[in-house]
Amino acid sequence: MRRFDYYQPKSLEEASALMADLGSEASIIAGGTDLLVEIKEELRKPRHVVDIKKIPGLRDYSYDAETGLRFGALVTARDLEIWAPVIEHYPNLRTAVAALGSIQVRNRATVVGNVCRASPSADTIPPLIADGASLSVYNRGDERQIPIEDLFTGPGRTVLVPGDIVTGISVPPSRPQSGRAYIKHGRRKAMELATVGVAVSLERDGDTCTEIRIALGAVAPTPIRARNAEALLRGRAIDPAAFTAIADAAMAESTPISNVRASAAYRRDMVGVLTRRAIGQAMGGV
Amino acid sequence: MTVHDLPVATRQTFSVVGKSVKRSDTLEKVTGSAVYAGDIILPGMLHGKIKRCEIAHARIKAIDTSKALALKGVKAVLTHENVPRVLHYGSPHPRSASVTRDQYILDDRVRYWGEGVAAVAAVSEEIAEEALGLIEVEYEPLPAVFTVEDALKPGAPALHDNGLDENNVLPPVIVERGDIEQGFAEADLVLEGEYELGRPTAAYMEPNICVTQWDGNGKLTIWSSTQTAFMVRGALAEVLGVPLNKVRVVVDHMGGGFGAKQDLFQHEFLAALLARETARPVRMEFSRKETFFGGRSRHPGKIWLKQGFTRDGRITARQARVVFNSGAYGSHSPGVTNVGTAAMTSLYRCDNVHLEGRAIYTNTPIAGAFRGYGVVQTYYAIDLQVDEAAEKLGFDPAEFKLKNAVREGDIAPSNHPIVGHGLEDCIRRGMAESDWHTARKAPKGDGVKRRGWGIGCEMHGSSAYPGIKEQGNAIVKMNEDGTVTLLTGTAGLGTGAHTALSQIVAEELGVPFEDIAVVQGDTDVVPWDIGAFASHTTYMGGRAAQIAAADVRRQVLAHAAPMLDAAPEDLTIVDGLIMRTDGSNRSIPLGEAVAPQRGMPAIQLVGVGTYTPTKSYSFGAHFVEVEVDTETGEVAVLQVIPVHEIGKIIHPVAAAGQIEGGIQQGIGHTLSEDYVIDLTNGRSLNPSFVDYKMPLSMDMPPIRTIILETAPDPGGPWGAKGVGEDPIIAIGPAIANAIHDAIGVRFRHYPITPENVLDALRAKSKEA
Repeated sequence: MRRFDYYQPKSLEEASALMADLGSEASIIAGGTDLLVEIKEELRKPRHVVDIKKIPGLRDYSYDAETGLRFGALVTARDLEIWAPVIEHYPNLRTAVAALGSIQVRNRATVVGNVCRASPSADTIPPLIADGASLSVYNRGDERQIPIEDLFTGPGRTVLVPGDIVTGISVPPSRPQSGRAYIKHGRRKAMELATVGVAVSLERDGDTCTEIRIALGAVAPTPIRARNAEALLRGRAIDPAAFTAIADAAMAESTPISNVRASAAYRRDMVGVLTRRAIGQAMGGV
Repeated sequence: MTVHDLPVATRQTFSVVGKSVKRSDTLEKVTGSAVYAGDIILPGMLHGKIKRCEIAHARIKAIDTSKALALKGVKAVLTHENVPRVLHYGSPHPRSASVTRDQYILDDRVRYWGEGVAAVAAVSEEIAEEALGLIEVEYEPLPAVFTVEDALKPGAPALHDNGLDENNVLPPVIVERGDIEQGFAEADLVLEGEYELGRPTAAYMEPNICVTQWDGNGKLTIWSSTQTAFMVRGALAEVLGVPLNKVRVVVDHMGGGFGAKQDLFQHEFLAALLARETARPVRMEFSRKETFFGGRSRHPGKIWLKQGFTRDGRITARQARVVFNSGAYGSHSPGVTNVGTAAMTSLYRCDNVHLEGRAIYTNTPIAGAFRGYGVVQTYYAIDLQVDEAAEKLGFDPAEFKLKNAVREGDIAPSNHPIVGHGLEDCIRRGMAESDWHTARKAPKGDGVKRRGWGIGCEMHGSSAYPGIKEQGNAIVKMNEDGTVTLLTGTAGLGTGAHTALSQIVAEELGVPFEDIAVVQGDTDVVPWDIGAFASHTTYMGGRAAQIAAADVRRQVLAHAAPMLDAAPEDLTIVDGLIMRTDGSNRSIPLGEAVAPQRGMPAIQLVGVGTYTPTKSYSFGAHFVEVEVDTETGEVAVLQVIPVHEIGKIIHPVAAAGQIEGGIQQGIGHTLSEDYVIDLTNGRSLNPSFVDYKMPLSMDMPPIRTIILETAPDPGGPWGAKGVGEDPIIAIGPAIANAIHDAIGVRFRHYPITPENVLDALRAKSKEA
């Protein structure tokens, strides 16, 4: 493993200042399940690694029916996976965190880390986008919110700038008559990257779909919203016969690549199948 | 003592054999104290690394190592310019004809993407790694071929100069019996198909590793993760130009091998040379990526198969052309081609066969030995086509396979008559356990998900005899307190083999299992063994241990006879007690009988056993239920009922473990595992576990394992036969046949990916 300098700041201010000083050759480490593997494989070669685990206050997570779910940057996938409010109110996020790596990995991996890694195939991102979640970002005394949907600029790339420390994620509360689903397509059940991931979150009023968000993973340079597909259902009566047209629209919005995991054509096909299934599942949860 | 064809002892009751005793390596493994090659840390030890090429075929014009040598901490750099140039074989089976001398330790030419071109020893792994980046290699690219089709084309670049045309690794293997023309003339139905084989790899948990050290007398000790310690010793001695007593190979525990660790690898030579050059120990361990680049895969390739069948369900003719892709070097291709091709004479009876087997060099990673050794491939083709014939002729596939199953006295692929055949038993029992006819008639479902059942069959020889003139050896010593030490050359690659051998010795001697200690894995100490492959260890090493133990037993009884006023033949040993068999109740504890007497030296009780085999076959039939998602193409294996006939079972849990592990590997090979090579440049596309996906525990269906003892072998210990190779063979065709039952599509390749299923379903609905 390549050598790097290791820092262990004790406060947000210190961490942020350090990251701003060190610039682009520094990486933040929390769980390290992705970063350390990539350093070993020489996929990333940071000269500096800044450990944020000694910063207080980042391990908290809470749920409130009015304000929703909030979790800090050090909250692990496993924390959320086994926490009753997530299981009850966010079955989509729950499915996603439970599908991430293995239990051993989930005991260390943080959800914020999974998001900030900005992998197009990250499991936790599509449900968080579909739910309209946002990041809290700290930078040398300033704080700002970034909708997760606006975070990504390319594979592994985000709008974050040197000195930014993502302190946590907020997810809006679940409302009555809402449903959520995430379906991951992989080659096996654990220790797997999504070939395609589809998240659907929707709200209805009687037979009418009042709001829907569809987020697709692993079929574009970043996770994306399938807005044309959403528009076919938003504000309209829910008719299973129309699901196929919605699925077709989602397929048209995806721009997958071919690689050793699957061909572009297969990925696009799966966007169709899984979008249809995820809408059905989300409806079932209403 | 050499014993041929010893009659099997007729024993009805067993005290240790047949019981799932606590494995003798359990405690050290769960406490982490078991020593693997990677645990060896020696004073002054250096770390070695191999620089690998990123081009599939090239001549090395120049290598500049000056910058690497100048790096602080680098102690030596080896290239083709400063290592001995000795042409050697990779598959180290000097007793068989099946070796190909086509490798140099380092050559001035590279033949596949990922081949080693240089090696560094440095004071740390990091520095060695850094030094690799400082070695500058200038290549002159050569035209490359990646598929057997391209390698066989006229004018294709020749990879080796071995006197054979068209990149053949060995002269074509021809197996002929009867008259196929007459056979096809008698046929009512002729089926013909081409079967395409993927490139699964063994993916053992412990990467290849060795630690090398030379002593002041010019003797090399190498701790290596190898299945074939004596073969490594032989090849190293030959290439390094030293006698056998100057090479000591030590391998205590191993983290798996599955056949692929019975080659000689570049790093073993290079670590030995780096240690000699620096006069310091050298440790060299593959990264996971290197286990793909520098390891060995199963042979990919193609099988063209044509068979004739009569309306009443006989197979009249079988013709096949097998073309294996050997990769850049010959490795085990001669053995795999011979065994895989000859296997097609049998399984399902057919008097008229004409088989041609070839192995072809290409500029791809090396294919080598791997559990199932050529037979996985050829029986996949046969079983799928026989299944198809059953359907076309209106037979139930299990009934059809039962009707054609190999029988007692049939000539086996080894050209021996089959003694002890179990295939019919396996098929019958599996049909009963699965309630086969009901299962096959059950609705397949009319929704998105469809279900189906399939059967696949196999047989596999125990030991590589007669292809390799094998023998099993053992030394058994009884200590002066009645406890026992077994010295065996068999390797412990994680299968529990030494537990089984201890059970055999305990049973033969009449002592408790806990009284047996095993010394193994040190070529300076233990008797010669060919290695852990070809379902050899329990069958060959176990029989030799039994013979050696029987020898000690005779000596003990002769020694104790005067103490009990009886003739030796009127004595027995039960649970460590020497007893008269006349009902007189006179007995003496074993430890007391062999204890040193006052003023007398201890009696030396040493038995030596050597066993050369007859030919024995184990049999199996797998019954599988699958569910196919017709929208995603995903195939889920819902349950497997494997039925294996393996003669006397020594350790039921270990035997079942072999079977269930083989099924897990086989499911992977059939549905997902494929080491993919970019056909434009020869680069490996998935040399890591991120994209080479094996099924894990979460993916495994329930397995209802059934082991039969109905056809014991006259040679093995109490009739025991091998089980290691078998379980990976039948699962593939069983899955493919079950997929057909579920969705009516016959695939003729593996792995069968979701994408393949979806494409086939679309093609089918277009046709309809």
